[in-house]
Amino acid sequence: MNDTLMNSTTCVIDGFGPLPLVRPNSVADLGDLVRAAAASKSALYPVGGQTKTALGMPPTRPGRTIDLRGLAQVIDFPARDMTITVQAGITMQALRDILEKEKLRLPIDVPEADRATLGGVLATNTSGPRRYGYGTMRDYVIGISALNDEGNEFKAGGRVVKNVAGYDLCKLLVGSLGTLGIITQVTLKLRPLAEQQAVFGLGCESAQLETLLRCLHESRTRPVCLEVLNQAAARIAYTHANLAIPESPWTVLVGYEGNGDAVSWQVQQLVKEVGTDCSLEARVDFPAMPLCHALCEFAAAPHHAVTFKANLLPSEVAAFCVAADQGPLRPAVRAHAGSGIVYGNWSADLTKEQAGSILTTWRERARQGAVIVQRCPSDWKAGLNVWGPAPHDVALMHAIKAKFDPNRIFNPGRFVDGI
Amino acid sequence: MTVAADSLAERMRSIVGAGNVLSSPSDLLVYECDGFTIEKNKPDVVVFPNSTADIVAIVKACGELGVPFVPRGAGTSLAGGCLPVGGGVMIALTRMKRILEVNYRDRYAVIEPGVVNLWLTNHLKPQGFHFAPDPSSQGACTIGGNIATNSGGPHTLKYGVTVNHVLGVELVLPDGQVVRSGGPTEDNPGYDLTGVIVGSEGTFGVAAKAWVRITRNPEAYRTLLGVFETVDDATNTISDIIGAGIIPGALEMLDSLILEAVEAAFHFGFPLDAGAVLIMEVDGLDAGLDQDAERIVEIARKNKAREVRKANTEAERLLLWKSRKQAFGAVGRLAPSYCTQDGVVPRTKLPEVLRAIQRIGAKYNLRIANVFHAGDGNIHPILLFDERDAEQVKRVLAASNEILDECIRLGGSVTGEHGIGVEKIDFMPKLFAPEDLAMMMRLRSAFNPDDRCSPHKMLPTAGACIERSHAGRHAAM
Ligand SMILES: Cc1cc2nc3c(=O)[nH]c(=O)nc-3n(C[C@H](O)[C@H](O)[C@H](O)COP(=O)(O)OP(=O)(O)OC[C@H]3O[C@@H](n4cnc5c(N)ncnc54)[C@H](O)[C@@H]3O)c2cc1C
Repeated sequence: MNDTLMNSTTCVIDGFGPLPLVRPNSVADLGDLVRAAAASKSALYPVGGQTKTALGMPPTRPGRTIDLRGLAQVIDFPARDMTITVQAGITMQALRDILEKEKLRLPIDVPEADRATLGGVLATNTSGPRRYGYGTMRDYVIGISALNDEGNEFKAGGRVVKNVAGYDLCKLLVGSLGTLGIITQVTLKLRPLAEQQAVFGLGCESAQLETLLRCLHESRTRPVCLEVLNQAAARIAYTHANLAIPESPWTVLVGYEGNGDAVSWQVQQLVKEVGTDCSLEARVDFPAMPLCHALCEFAAAPHHAVTFKANLLPSEVAAFCVAADQGPLRPAVRAHAGSGIVYGNWSADLTKEQAGSILTTWRERARQGAVIVQRCPSDWKAGLNVWGPAPHDVALMHAIKAKFDPNRIFNPGRFVDGI
Repeated sequence: MTVAADSLAERMRSIVGAGNVLSSPSDLLVYECDGFTIEKNKPDVVVFPNSTADIVAIVKACGELGVPFVPRGAGTSLAGGCLPVGGGVMIALTRMKRILEVNYRDRYAVIEPGVVNLWLTNHLKPQGFHFAPDPSSQGACTIGGNIATNSGGPHTLKYGVTVNHVLGVELVLPDGQVVRSGGPTEDNPGYDLTGVIVGSEGTFGVAAKAWVRITRNPEAYRTLLGVFETVDDATNTISDIIGAGIIPGALEMLDSLILEAVEAAFHFGFPLDAGAVLIMEVDGLDAGLDQDAERIVEIARKNKAREVRKANTEAERLLLWKSRKQAFGAVGRLAPSYCTQDGVVPRTKLPEVLRAIQRIGAKYNLRIANVFHAGDGNIHPILLFDERDAEQVKRVLAASNEILDECIRLGGSVTGEHGIGVEKIDFMPKLFAPEDLAMMMRLRSAFNPDDRCSPHKMLPTAGACIERSHAGRHAAM
């Protein structure tokens, strides 16, 4: 191991630490770090741009933090095949710049793209508004390499867009919060940049929200995003976009992408449908494109000290949002309505006790899905059950963790049910 | 521990009743192989469960008696996924065929594993929805089988393969535990077990129920037929279309030999002297389609297309698709037997791999026809021969191997949709390093620790060659 590697600084992860921070510049060095951790029975906490280290439970075991941004090379970019193979420490912005030169993109909305790394986005399964039209990370990762508990690199998938050879470890590692191995390299399936985009804002009252969502759901148009914002959330997004803040209690943003003809037809069609078919008085405006960006950055808004995330059936979103809006300390409520995902965001005024009781109410209301605490002060976590009740298949998850990481080197204790 | 077939059948009858068990040698004959007919082995018993509880009781009994079991859907696997290596119990899911729930508002359906792919789509049709994965075998294959093999089809290019449309699975583990991964909601906390269960080829347990996404039908189509002098011109057209930012619903290529067969069968009016034709279909909202179709015509012309025809009526479009989807059947006109291979290369390597196939055909003195999912780089070379001639069979196997080796050399894979099964096990060490296979084995052992569920599939294991009736890999005929 070289000197720069050992010459480490420190870092605090979710209130735990300081832990020594090392930044390997090669997979071989990273392998040495894993073997050293295995030998000393200490833990490893991989990080990228540290935009999401608040997710999950705080570390409990001493060990090292590993900064993966030293592994950021492009390995292969056959643009005409619409795939790219890159190391996992690349930032999303750097990746975006490379792809845009070839009129390509990875259609995953990631806030703080200049800091967030691909590996971190994968491990946390980050997504944004356009997941409704394009899906999530699992739909784009076609090949993956990672270091196992012995410090050896393993891979799965490949570099072709269609491939069923072997078990799909890509799916297993996406969203695994770094608990099964350290992701080193990824092959992605890409999409062309959209020729045109339009975002379309509709305002409505609480009582109309479900009618409007159902109308959009049944629309002849095919939106790529369907966002719901309460007034507090709209204020944040519209301010960020430098636009006049809407007055209605709810704002529904509908996004379209495609060729010019398709986008302009859809915009006209939607105006027609909400005017006649839905028979509700929706105010229509055409916010400028910066709103797209604002919606994407929303998740990282600095005023949010506490964030809950509920995953529901799309049909439950309207009622859930309205109830959440009326709760104590009026959160900024925002939903990916077409995907059934609702977020509530509170400022630092919220107390731990209030958070606990709101969480209980949210969990009672989320009948089919779950509610997780996505962000809160680290010292609350011991009492908050951030991941919620163990899922149905938790025993299998533990079994997989035990097979992949028997000595619990990788992010121990941070994931669901103490994994 | 071994157990006599008789008492095994008796035990199974006590669980599901005599009407749901087959055990006579003549009845078992049908189950000695699936669509991969080179290797055969009869199961000791075939059992037809009617419920999750039946499956649980069956696998628990297998556990007590120490016998292996293998799940089976319609048996259309082309990789020997259903082969009962080492005998034991075959769990046939074809009687669990209910569509349990359809929720159009939340866009999912809950189905039992024996539901045939096309039944679900037909069921959804009146509401303008369908189940997106559309393998050519969709009239026969089950959704349980699609889940196990992560099936694709012509429309995979735009809409994704099975895994992109499965939200959750109820799985009976080999020890009889029932686990539910995922469900109707997205983003459930924890590992994405649904994502690894799909494509596990029946080696993780028996899928007893699934939550699948349902997709709205496209409002309209534009279907074009491009006629090219050379395969290179056709493949350049494919790259240029996608490079122009258009993602067609389907991009299928047929070469001159397959055109000969298809034309004889369906009289569509395909040119018999063309190097290749492309079926190019864009779908979605009517509004944007003309713009895309015009650009496609332009791109095809730029790449020296001899002509670009448009399907002017729905009847013409359906005939074109019938010609494509039944191309395999039409091959029967060219030779008594044929073997379809399933390889993948990066799209831009298609000209190279097709030239290699031609060279390999000449080397082994075999005629090879090509009809495939060109947009995905997923080739399906069809090797023509006569299976009564053992020497020809040998040449077919050798040529298939060389084609798949070439796919690997070009940075691709040996299977895009049919699976590894028993057929392609020997290719796994060529695609993956020992470390990769070891990690896959770790995953399997979390689900299936003593390998009693569909043993000796997918991953090469010590001892497999001894127990199997034939060592090594064989081609699907
Ligand atoms: C003419 C023809 C055309 C084809 N075209 C295509 C195509 O276009 N695309 C494509 O992808 N495939 C295609 N196939 C292959 C095959 O049809 C698919 O793999 C299909 O998904 C298999 O479904 P099945 O119900 O027949 O499964 P089976 O053949 O019965 O089983 C396949 C595998 O799944 C497992 N399995 C089945 N049910 C379950 C269950 N409930 N739980 C756990 N494991 C289970 C079995 O053990 C086996 O390993 C084609 C086959 C033929 C014969």
